[in-house]
Amino acid sequence: MQDNNKVKEYDALVIGAGIAGGEAALNLANVGNRVLLIDKDLTVGGKMIMLSKVFPTLDCSACITTPKVSEIARHSLITTLTSTEASDIVQKDNGTFEALITTQPRYVHIEDCTGCQLCEEACPVNVEDEYQYGLVGRKAAFIPFSIASPRAAAIDIENCTLCGACERACPTNCIDFTQTVEKFMIECKTVIVATGFQLFDPTLIPRYGYGRFKNVITSMQMERQLAPTRPFNTVLRPSDGKIPDNIAYVLCTGSRDKTVGTPICSQVCCMYSTKQAQLLMGALPMADITLYFLHIRAFGKGFNEFYAQAQSMGVEYVKGKVAKITEKEDGNLILRYEDISTGKVTETEHDMVVLSVGILPNQGITGLFKNRKLELDQFNYISQSNPLESPATTSIKGVFVAGVASAPMDIPDSILSAGAASSEAANYIRQLSVKQVEV
Amino acid sequence: MNVGNKKTVLKMKEKRQVSQAVKDELKLFTKTKKAILKALKDNKKNVPELSEELNMPTDRVLYFLMSLQKYGFVQVDGIDDMDEYFYYKLKDNG
Repeated sequence: MQDNNKVKEYDALVIGAGIAGGEAALNLANVGNRVLLIDKDLTVGGKMIMLSKVFPTLDCSACITTPKVSEIARHSLITTLTSTEASDIVQKDNGTFEALITTQPRYVHIEDCTGCQLCEEACPVNVEDEYQYGLVGRKAAFIPFSIASPRAAAIDIENCTLCGACERACPTNCIDFTQTVEKFMIECKTVIVATGFQLFDPTLIPRYGYGRFKNVITSMQMERQLAPTRPFNTVLRPSDGKIPDNIAYVLCTGSRDKTVGTPICSQVCCMYSTKQAQLLMGALPMADITLYFLHIRAFGKGFNEFYAQAQSMGVEYVKGKVAKITEKEDGNLILRYEDISTGKVTETEHDMVVLSVGILPNQGITGLFKNRKLELDQFNYISQSNPLESPATTSIKGVFVAGVASAPMDIPDSILSAGAASSEAANYIRQLSVKQVEV
Repeated sequence: MNVGNKKTVLKMKEKRQVSQAVKDELKLFTKTKKAILKALKDNKKNVPELSEELNMPTDRVLYFLMSLQKYGFVQVDGIDDMDEYFYYKLKDNG
């Protein structure tokens, strides 16, 4: 249940309700702290809840995320606000913080919505579904996806025709077009920044043809095609609905590439591509899967075995940087690359190409703080002032960083990072309390 | 909070205009939906067949067809002999 009571004082403000922010909020609340957990999206769970499976265990991602999301929703000390952002954060002389919280209207009273989807059925609109990365449509009155939390409808006012059909269909009268932006101030003792990441935009590498060639998709679009809540009935080519039988992956798309301003490794692309290749071998047993890579970075526990497992299943790994992709009339794609093993420039044909896009830091985080400077590192992630001894500390005392907001990392590392941030934050809250007692 | 009167959309209409692009998109979807449902009325069809009949690019047909599948209007009905394209038919909603 989402609690919209505007309690002014909290022990902690957690910005970002992905797996890192959610974990940090739970850790803090479990030791008795009142937490305000906010997310700019319509649902909590971040990107993890959208994934098919996790590597290297191939556990169902949603099955891991949803119990946590449910625990967050039910925790009496956590107030969760979606469509919500923080700004104008000011640190006071006593070390505590004030922040302006802004909630965008959802045009639905979440506490009254039963998730019956009758508004969706009544809505005549069809627009690209951002939760399915544009592969399929959704209504303007919609529930983001079946395991969204809160599982409540929202009105996409930008694409709404204001026909009123949703309002007439709603059995609980929870749709309310009179909702407006809500702003209120809070006071808190600590802030955890868990703002996650964004994916690299592959249109910045025009020679790969993303956006022009329909059968060039991103790894996140393939992730959705492999997920239980997938847009199609199976894996299909977006150009014509054909079942692909020869799929290529181009690794390091927007990672380790100074020409597009992302010189560092994204840490996860080699393994998520290997995971998707294994899942595709299961979904399309007759398909050939080829991964074009610079180096395979299988550095974590069980990663190298996972890589070896993919090879033994028949996934082909080709060491070579893809220079260019061209499209044939039938929608098939020609990859031109230098095969490092032979030293020759080679061309091969595939009927679908997946760009393994890298991850980038979210922008605009430093602007949230008014009288203190949240410093970034040279790659625009939040700078860790003491990465070895105290990895969650930032340039602002009392502000801690969790998850990919500090650097590219995989899910287990994000959860560990959230553990560090919540421990530091709990310690900071305790120190402030001791000081108050002393005063 | 329970709103009750079911007419709050009128308040929104007073302060917001629906853009022409949104109206055009609605028209396109309504027209395409009717055309796809009509084309599938008697026979199951795959995406290339629908594309030819509707004179619409295959990628757009797939997008609308999959949306209609999501909304419960159509369903899969087998695959062709080459195991390349699925056939789709109208969903029997009782």
